[in-house]
Amino acid sequence: MSEILLSLGQVLSFMLLIAAAIASVELYLWAHFKYHDKNSIFYACALLFTMFAAFILKAAGFLTANAFLLFLLFEIFLIFASKKLLKGKKYLPYLLSAPAFLGLAALLMYPFIFQIYLSFHDLKLTTIMQWKETGSIPFAGFKQYLAVFTVPPLAEAGFFKLLWRTLGWTFINVFFHVLGGLTLALMLSEITRLKGVYRTLLVIPWAMPQVVAVLAMRGEFHSQYGFVNVMIKKALDIFPWLASLGVAPVNWLSDYPLLTCIIINIWLGIPFMTVIILGGLQSISKSYYDAAEIDGAGYFQKLFYITMPLIKPVLMPAVTLGTVWTFNNINVIYLVTGQAGGTEQADILVSALYKAAFTYNRYSYSAAFAMVIFLILFAISISYSKIFSERKEGKI
Amino acid sequence: MASVTFKNIVKKYNENLILDNVSLEIKDHEFVVVVGPSGCGKTTLLRLLAGLEEITSGDIEIDNIRVNDLPPSKREIAMVFQDYALYPHMTVRENMSFALKLRRFSREEIDKRVNEAAAILQLENLLDRMPRQLSGGQRQRVAIGRAIVRKPKVFLFDEPLSNLDAKLREEMRVEIAKLYQKLNSTIVYVTHDQVEAMTLAGRIVVMNKGIVQQNGTPLDVYRKPQNSFVAGFIGSPTMNFMDGKIVSEKDFFYFQNKDVKIFIPSFVFPEAQDYAGREVTLGVRPDDIILDSAKMDHANKLSATVEVIELLGHRENIYLRLGEQRILAVGEAFGELSPNARAEFSLNYKNLHIFDALTKKRINP
Repeated sequence: MSEILLSLGQVLSFMLLIAAAIASVELYLWAHFKYHDKNSIFYACALLFTMFAAFILKAAGFLTANAFLLFLLFEIFLIFASKKLLKGKKYLPYLLSAPAFLGLAALLMYPFIFQIYLSFHDLKLTTIMQWKETGSIPFAGFKQYLAVFTVPPLAEAGFFKLLWRTLGWTFINVFFHVLGGLTLALMLSEITRLKGVYRTLLVIPWAMPQVVAVLAMRGEFHSQYGFVNVMIKKALDIFPWLASLGVAPVNWLSDYPLLTCIIINIWLGIPFMTVIILGGLQSISKSYYDAAEIDGAGYFQKLFYITMPLIKPVLMPAVTLGTVWTFNNINVIYLVTGQAGGTEQADILVSALYKAAFTYNRYSYSAAFAMVIFLILFAISISYSKIFSERKEGKI
Repeated sequence: MASVTFKNIVKKYNENLILDNVSLEIKDHEFVVVVGPSGCGKTTLLRLLAGLEEITSGDIEIDNIRVNDLPPSKREIAMVFQDYALYPHMTVRENMSFALKLRRFSREEIDKRVNEAAAILQLENLLDRMPRQLSGGQRQRVAIGRAIVRKPKVFLFDEPLSNLDAKLREEMRVEIAKLYQKLNSTIVYVTHDQVEAMTLAGRIVVMNKGIVQQNGTPLDVYRKPQNSFVAGFIGSPTMNFMDGKIVSEKDFFYFQNKDVKIFIPSFVFPEAQDYAGREVTLGVRPDDIILDSAKMDHANKLSATVEVIELLGHRENIYLRLGEQRILAVGEAFGELSPNARAEFSLNYKNLHIFDALTKKRINP
């Protein structure tokens, strides 16, 4: 009973802490806009923040000179930045977005900055105790970044092999997502009866938690009891001549893990594209098709000259998103190939990164690895949006 | 150029009857305007002719060839849509050449035709623009240009001016009339605007509830409406209608209800004897109400109270009241009448319209 009360108290105090943080930021913002011509308010705020930080650090048991100094520097930076950036009369937007900004800072910016910090140091299984005891890690400079390209993250595959595999994986997946999504969306847009039923059925794989969906599909690829092999065996019973064509049950998970992952991921990704493309299709005015029909366009001509160009505005962002998600998709590969000690034949960059960090405990190396992946994705996204906006501008 | 024949066309959506046994002949080079209130089936008729909808029963012939089963592209028709339906991702030039490109015309032929059409419609400077960069009137012209380049047998216009503002609509109306003079092709034009119908048409087809109500020249339809629907639909301001009976007194016939008693000369209604005592509807256009005492039939004049006067600039609408009957007359602006004054008037007998109250059909010649 007392344990429950204790944990409840901890949860409550944590929530109070968050509320206090938000309240203090809001208070600061309010004061900032109200007295922004008075310097004294900044000193007062700095003092208050410092005391607050000291209290928090003390309470958390982290009050070292280094940490305190770091916090002070951060706080001075924040206050000066806010003095420079937050100007004008409209302060309500700042007040309203501050809590979300705090959340983002805690959940995204802090880990990101910490990751950059890690990538320039050397944290691994042999130095982690040193970090715990002294709070410092050996500085490594660009050594980790060099290692990303020279030292393989896995036992079997190096960076470039993984990169090509990832690019192939991404391309094949996104290609079939779009193709399957387009086909299904075109079919769905023609259906008039039981529309809702079909749409619901098709969206299920997407609406289901990915873990459940992937594990269920993984079961279907089991070499003995899985649906796929069972069906192959039945087909062979009915049409024995298939065997002469080389059709036979396959050990999907152990012999073709990457192919299995791709098939499962294609299945998982099609509903999203279907929904997006269907939305695009429904926004196209029916009269374009009437006009095209009178102009003499057949089904495929209508598809290529009318439908495709008109769904491009919704398709391009979806493809960009799909590319990033697929490139970064660790769930399917991690869940299908076995969590630890499984095959490495299906690993792409992110799953290799995961293994490097949490199976091989090379934290700093993984941090650098993650930075490299981030930069690749950043470049892909930028080029997508560049191509897209150029096309748009070119047309105007 | 071609003739178009509709033979006993019936169109049903599930159980809803949209077109009920429509038969219609459109001659070569004819400008036919199909007019009617919304939901009367006029657009459906056009879409059936275009091949965008399937006919439930009946036949459509273009140039005496049955086209029921031909796809739209094989019917050699071109259509201008109400919302123009310009392909938003193509330039004006691409929009106009799309149909030719699909038909694998040569580059030179396409350019020649597009430039020709652009010259006719004054679109030369707009050929490289996108539809969204054009004004409503320009889009309309592009839509027409897209039809012209095809050199079709029949042009179909589906309420092409209804998305334009009033001033532009008048301009485009003149443009379309000029275009017809230039192309001299068969045109089927659908509209709900009776002014467009009157001004553009060589022949008007008035439709209501899926039935052709009357089919004739604009003057015919205006002067001799075949039923009370056509009489009320065509003409602006709207015709006055009065319900009453034909009564005979001393060899003369009168139209009478509890508010008015109107003399009906025998040349207006020779068969009055047959209708004596029967319920009829009398229709008279506002222009046919004579307020000028010099022209008035003093022997049979009527007297009413002026209710409201609407000044329209060059003329005015005068609302007269006789008991419960309200009658609209038009007069010169700044006339002698003022609200609540007594006004005397008579009717221009040769333009009286008498309809059977039951069948709504015209019964006087």
